[in-house]
Amino acid sequence: MSLEDKLAARKTELVGKWGDVILATYPAETQKVWKRQRDRFANPVGVTILETAQNLFDLLLCWQDAEAIANCMEMLIKIRAVQQFSPSQAISFVFLLKKLLREELGDELRMEGAIEELMSFETRIDNLALMAFDIYSKSREQVYEMRIKEIKLSHRMLMRKADMIADVAAPTADK
Amino acid sequence: MSDFPRPDELYKSIDYSPPATGWMDTPIKFRPGNWCYPAKPDVLRYVHFPNPREWSAEDKDWKLPENWQDIIHQGFRERLKKFRTFQVFMDICVRCGACADKCHYFIGSGDPKNMPVLRAELLRSIYRKDFTLAGKILGKLNGARVMTEDVLKEWFMYFYQCTECRRCSLYCPYGIDTAEITMMGRELLHLVGCNINWAMEPVANCERTGNHLGIQPHAMKDIVDFMCDDIEEITGKRITVPLNEKGHEVLFTTPSGDFFADPGTYTFMGYLMLFEAIGLDYTMSTYNSEGGNFGLFTSHDAMKILNGKIYNEAKRLGVKWILGGECGHMWRVLNQYMDTMNGPADFLEVPKSPLTGTVFHNAKSTKMVHICEFTSDLIRHGKLKLDKSRNDNLRVTFHDSCNPARAMGLLEEPRYVIKNVVNNFFDMPENTIREQTFCCAGGAGLGTDEFMDMRMRGGLPRGNALRYVQEKHDVNTMACICAIDRATLIPLADYWAPGVQITGIHEMVANALILDGEKQRTMNLRQEPLPGFEEEE
Repeated sequence: MSLEDKLAARKTELVGKWGDVILATYPAETQKVWKRQRDRFANPVGVTILETAQNLFDLLLCWQDAEAIANCMEMLIKIRAVQQFSPSQAISFVFLLKKLLREELGDELRMEGAIEELMSFETRIDNLALMAFDIYSKSREQVYEMRIKEIKLSHRMLMRKADMIADVAAPTADK
Repeated sequence: MSDFPRPDELYKSIDYSPPATGWMDTPIKFRPGNWCYPAKPDVLRYVHFPNPREWSAEDKDWKLPENWQDIIHQGFRERLKKFRTFQVFMDICVRCGACADKCHYFIGSGDPKNMPVLRAELLRSIYRKDFTLAGKILGKLNGARVMTEDVLKEWFMYFYQCTECRRCSLYCPYGIDTAEITMMGRELLHLVGCNINWAMEPVANCERTGNHLGIQPHAMKDIVDFMCDDIEEITGKRITVPLNEKGHEVLFTTPSGDFFADPGTYTFMGYLMLFEAIGLDYTMSTYNSEGGNFGLFTSHDAMKILNGKIYNEAKRLGVKWILGGECGHMWRVLNQYMDTMNGPADFLEVPKSPLTGTVFHNAKSTKMVHICEFTSDLIRHGKLKLDKSRNDNLRVTFHDSCNPARAMGLLEEPRYVIKNVVNNFFDMPENTIREQTFCCAGGAGLGTDEFMDMRMRGGLPRGNALRYVQEKHDVNTMACICAIDRATLIPLADYWAPGVQITGIHEMVANALILDGEKQRTMNLRQEPLPGFEEEE
């Protein structure tokens, strides 16, 4: 049985455990609420964690479509990019999978002399981490861009009043 | 090399679990993005608030008055005596947890102290210690604790991480108004000079010049003239706007954000075009050019002063009744406090639409009608000529702004108006709209750019529902009836549902509205081509 078959066979269990360790990065009281509430509109973070773990796991096994993988992670990273996490904590959920797989499968594979398989599978997770880093950075840049845009929008009429807008579309405007 | 941990050991050591301590013993951390800048000393001096000084929440020393504990204790005592609700809300919570997962900030952040019950416990723990026998004797066993500087800092953090949207109150079996708890928390913080600039500067400006940015009357007039220029360019009709004129029937009051900030400016142009179309006999006051009431986010005294200007100007200008624009918290103050605080306005008449003859009995006492009530009545009686197809490029959803929805029950009228001016309308999921609407996360003075991280956390529930209708129905526009929303929903949508634009309802009304004698319209109020005229650009 190849590692990928093993992972596929234990998918529900592993996805559940991955979801749990991601949830464990939040306080205990919060975990209770987010595990209980399954409504995606009442509990967007909890539901996103579980869905991301599930879909990402499938995509990791296929390892075909980088764009699909990035899209799959985007919501969870955007959420964690604005939560009270340091950058490393925000994307730690990727490495938590690595940790989980070593704990769950490491001994077995070592006994079978197939630990290399896990090592090579882990390169996918490393790639995931790099992609996560890109998405995280893009999200943070967007937050700063939004701050600038907001200030510009909030004063447009005043800039106009102060004669501070030289609109190139206006007939009298110089080049 | 032998000292270096092996990869396996390193992996085992990865642990991002948060502290396992109880909430009382878990310290808080101020970092950029989770707190708003403090009020400037000059601003506090102008409104005669105590302890003006330069300080930062990230400083260790907050430069509190020496006897700050006494001040807080006395302030607490006074308020318990003065406000019966406050005393009741301190006593009756059974900590059932119904509110726990209802706050948008909790839903987005996962911080237990954003659970409304725990936010209230920040005050209750001190209440028990200082004002109940059990708390005095049993202390922590009874959920009581001593007031320390750390507790005060915690108050500052969490009472300024609440938008007073009252979604949690909707679910409370005892009807505890958690917004009023936050209001009390903020009042106590004011006593020792801990407040935020984006609430206090608007209060000071509104008190002095009439609007949140401190723009003077002649500049306001220039800005209105610019809008009239734009309207002329779009419709071919020159509109005149009566500012500060006596002897008209109606005083129109709207938030000042709509004068200055896009896209509120287009909503403002929408009002002007509507009034022109129906020939409304109205005026606007530059001194009362901010209908929104930042006093609500500050203290009951500040709220009363700012709200009083609406009636004072109505009296001075000699109008018969008041029409209010698309604003959020203006309506909460109006529906829940105005009548007893500054009313009853016996010098005014019960509002009656001059076009339809409809008498607004719901405004019998306050004498103030919401523009969505007014416009939906006009539409119902066929008084407006509308061409919905001009909005055919829009696929619209509606964000129930917290205060009009929860504080005044304005749920049907906005939808009725929208459905009469656009062809494509889609509501967001049931548990995210109407009374259960999710806040924009920028109300109550928190709509400031340094608070963007927290706003995005709190904006997640709304953004998540918006993204759903965007994916399901290709929604590209979210309408709202609040000036704070029109500012804060823009980054919210940009972040959580990119591609959705924000609009006020009366912008869409004016786009659809056919004015007598107008030229052929080819562009909307944003001067973008109308559907069918894209080629001519």
